[in-house]
Amino acid sequence: MKENSKKCGKSVYSQFLIARCNLCKAKAQTAAIVVLILVAAFMLNLWLMLSTDYKKNFDRYHDKLNAEHVTLAIEGHRDAKIKEFISETLEKNANMSQYYMSDVLTSYGTLAYNGGEVNMEFVFIEKEEAQNRLVGSTEIVEEGEAESGIYLPMIYGIDDNIAVGKTIELTMGDHVVSYPICGFLNSVMTGSHNCSLCAFMLTSDLYQELEEKGFAFKSTLVSIRLKDKTESEDFEARLKDEISSKYPSVHPTSNSYELVSTSRYISQMICAGIVSVMAFLVTLISLVVIVSNVINYIQENMRQLGVLKAIGYKSRQIIFALMLQFLGITVIAVVVGVGLSYCLFPAINEMMISQTGIPYTIRFLPLPFAVTILFLGGAVAFSVWLSSRRIKKIEPVIALRQGIQTHNFKHNHIPLTKSHVPLNFALALKTTLSGLKQNITICITMFVLSIALVFSGLMIKNVIIDMQPFVDLVMGEMADSCININAEIEDEFLKEMKERDCVSNCYLFTMEEVRHMEGVALRATLSDDFSKVNNQDMCIKGHFPQYDNEAVIGAKYAREKGLEVGDEITLTADGHEAKYIISGFTQISNNFGKDCLLTRSGYERMGELQALSYYINITNGKDIDIFNEEISKQFEDRVNDSINQLSLLNGAASVYVALMEIIVIAILVLSVVVITFVLYLLARTLLNNKKQDYGILKALGFTTKQLILQTAVSFMPAVILSAVVGLIVSSLIINPLTALFLGGLGIVKCTFALPVGFIIAAGVGLVVLAFGIASFLSLRIRKIAPRALLLGE
Amino acid sequence: MKEILLKTESLSKSFSNDGTMQHVLKNIDVQLYKGDFTVIMGASGAGKSTFLYALSGMDTPTLGTITFGDSVISDFSSDELAVFRREHCGFVFQQIYLIDGMSVMDNILTAGFLVNKDKKAVIQCARELLKAVDISVETQNKFPTQISGGEAQRVGIVRALINSPEILFADEPTGALNSKTGLDVLDTLTAFNEQGQSIVMVTHDMRSARRGNRILYLKDGMILGECDLGKYVHEDTERHKKLSAFLTEMGW
Repeated sequence: MKENSKKCGKSVYSQFLIARCNLCKAKAQTAAIVVLILVAAFMLNLWLMLSTDYKKNFDRYHDKLNAEHVTLAIEGHRDAKIKEFISETLEKNANMSQYYMSDVLTSYGTLAYNGGEVNMEFVFIEKEEAQNRLVGSTEIVEEGEAESGIYLPMIYGIDDNIAVGKTIELTMGDHVVSYPICGFLNSVMTGSHNCSLCAFMLTSDLYQELEEKGFAFKSTLVSIRLKDKTESEDFEARLKDEISSKYPSVHPTSNSYELVSTSRYISQMICAGIVSVMAFLVTLISLVVIVSNVINYIQENMRQLGVLKAIGYKSRQIIFALMLQFLGITVIAVVVGVGLSYCLFPAINEMMISQTGIPYTIRFLPLPFAVTILFLGGAVAFSVWLSSRRIKKIEPVIALRQGIQTHNFKHNHIPLTKSHVPLNFALALKTTLSGLKQNITICITMFVLSIALVFSGLMIKNVIIDMQPFVDLVMGEMADSCININAEIEDEFLKEMKERDCVSNCYLFTMEEVRHMEGVALRATLSDDFSKVNNQDMCIKGHFPQYDNEAVIGAKYAREKGLEVGDEITLTADGHEAKYIISGFTQISNNFGKDCLLTRSGYERMGELQALSYYINITNGKDIDIFNEEISKQFEDRVNDSINQLSLLNGAASVYVALMEIIVIAILVLSVVVITFVLYLLARTLLNNKKQDYGILKALGFTTKQLILQTAVSFMPAVILSAVVGLIVSSLIINPLTALFLGGLGIVKCTFALPVGFIIAAGVGLVVLAFGIASFLSLRIRKIAPRALLLGE
Repeated sequence: MKEILLKTESLSKSFSNDGTMQHVLKNIDVQLYKGDFTVIMGASGAGKSTFLYALSGMDTPTLGTITFGDSVISDFSSDELAVFRREHCGFVFQQIYLIDGMSVMDNILTAGFLVNKDKKAVIQCARELLKAVDISVETQNKFPTQISGGEAQRVGIVRALINSPEILFADEPTGALNSKTGLDVLDTLTAFNEQGQSIVMVTHDMRSARRGNRILYLKDGMILGECDLGKYVHEDTERHKKLSAFLTEMGW
């Protein structure tokens, strides 16, 4: 028994020696494979970190701060009766586990942020109260020395103009208040402009001052924890419905766990999606390269394999040595790659926090590391096993004869007697056509890079250079200005708009909440005439609602519920229900796909509109802010709010633009790295395999330049063909693929314009880059001396 | 008076070996003549192959000059040497060195098309040469791994001759062949020499050396002696005796 284990130990050691010998013989190739696996491990671990722990961070803080699952701000109401009704309603609900109600100040307002502005419902909470709420408490994450001032959600801290010690201006209607910034806070459900409600903590003196000045409404904030958080959206809709039914004048602003947990992690979702695809594609390239490498190893070391077999090594021992070699490389590369992901994660975290607004503490995560190492290790082991199986079929005698009998050149590609192309090109084509493995590796690599390049081009054209297509896709509709008015001044307001020359388009575009009887809460977008909306692509199937019994619903929601155009649905609002026929699908993502479009008269079958939002396009070079100010002054307090939508867009969307810029740069850099290393491996293998041929050709009188050209050109047919096919196929699939990434936002169909110029330039660039790299790598041919032939080197 | 084809003056070649210089060729002055079948002989390590590489422009000397016609090829760059080799030299190797991935015909045309742009003429010439060395039409489309060693070496000779070189260099052309096929190859070389082809051959085989009309004997990097055997005549015992005596004198 002891002897057996000793034998086994010696056997493994001898295989280790073989593996070490192989590694020493191919240091540069090993280094190139290490880089490819390292990149794959880096991206895989990054994806796992982002998609597992990073998202869970929301829940960790949600638990830590005993945050609510549904938040309700009852604007302008602190009546005991209403509070009592809400308490009774909540206590009757079996899904409610805990709630907390307190007095706050609320106002719809604007603040300058990130070069633009954000517009949302401000919720002012007194500092002590905010930190001690039983449900939905707030924590301070950064604090200065000032005793009086405001604490802002930490998401705003990314703006250099918003920092502790500086002053911030908040616009609420016609009033502008300015507060010294005392610090930054973390509120899970109300800590971002992506949450419908945004909490600001005021020191007690300023809170009292604001309350006394009357710039904000005296309101009630209700925070509710649920037993089943997956019901949060429905709970929110039902509760609002019940409150509105009992008190028609009360229209609470609210959010839910589902909405907030998704909306604060859009960047994370997009980034994780892209990183995951890149990780799998780079892994695929690495595996193809390893398979090709193993096959070449067998071909190049046929005699050594014969010797090993002749002295008694079994095939599986030789295969095991190969596995040991590649798994050793993989383990080292994975450890370094994972390490790299931790080194770069602070920068990624910084980028993500600009959108999540929730602090994340970086720590070692064993699970992503384990999954990365097991996945890559398993994939590499399988690839090595798959490609090294032919070792079993090699007879020692044949192997010792350099495997001559295993060679079977059945086809003479490009016979020179019939060829009409110049000799050097004919010889290059011969090399191309005889290198099947080389061509497959190039094709897969180029295809992957084509997808990456087309995606980059798509993002550059539709997000970075001109973000309108992205805005149209994600936000659905944009105009220059949005003015919210009381319903009673509608006629007067529309008359004024008609008279103003600078107004080129003015249409009702207002949002209300409705509930689908068989489903959940939907955000309804209402208009008198959808033919006036700027983005006519908002309806992706069927047609906009024209009659009061027609509705367009979110395509994602329709898919989930199995609804089709022509089906009938029942919606409810303000305690009334009505039936509608689905006339089409939309993918506006005001509510992540849980959206619908109704005509105004269609909505009024259920509820009454009290405040109306009008979208306005402004021409003649009129400044939007001045226009909004004029209208606000003219109609005074009957204008609830006026928003410069372009400015709003700049503030909110710049985060996504910055994210896309980083992603595109990362993709482009990665593409260059991948193609360089893949071509390096291929060129090196080719040069090794054809070293003798090059020696012969040099002896016959071919110059080094001719041979370098031949080698570089031999890669080009596969490069050009796969680049052309890859770019065409990528162009066809890139929009559906992008829709897949953005699926979480409710996007099911993406119609971004293809950057044809960029794609052509990228294709040419890719080919030129490949040719340049191949030529550069082929410079090794200079070192091949014809006399080496005669020396048998 | 014979026409000088190649001339060396003070030809020396040294290699650095673990920091110590190894002088393989030392001040060789020799002239090679047009139409000769020159055989270079010597013991292992005498510098025969190094001498051949230097003469053929496959390697550059450390010191001294090699002149071909009016050109000092020892001053040539590697690309100029490549052009010199393709236009003026042919090579036959001991290990044959045909390119495995190409058919027999393509191996020859690869060398032929490099010099002559008239493809039809090159193909015609290749076919004639192949016929002359007894390679069948069927064999022309085979790959080097599918033909015998003797056939492969004869293809190698055709490849070397396809550009009608002024000088054919052969390094142990029968070294990797058996007795019968070796003899066929020697017959082929002799036949071409009889048609006026200049040949320089390295060998340590007496049977091969007998085919030459001039024997150069190298020892320790220097030409120790030379022997004029005269025109080759089949089964000429006198010639054999003369060669044996020369080699014995040289310490063979």
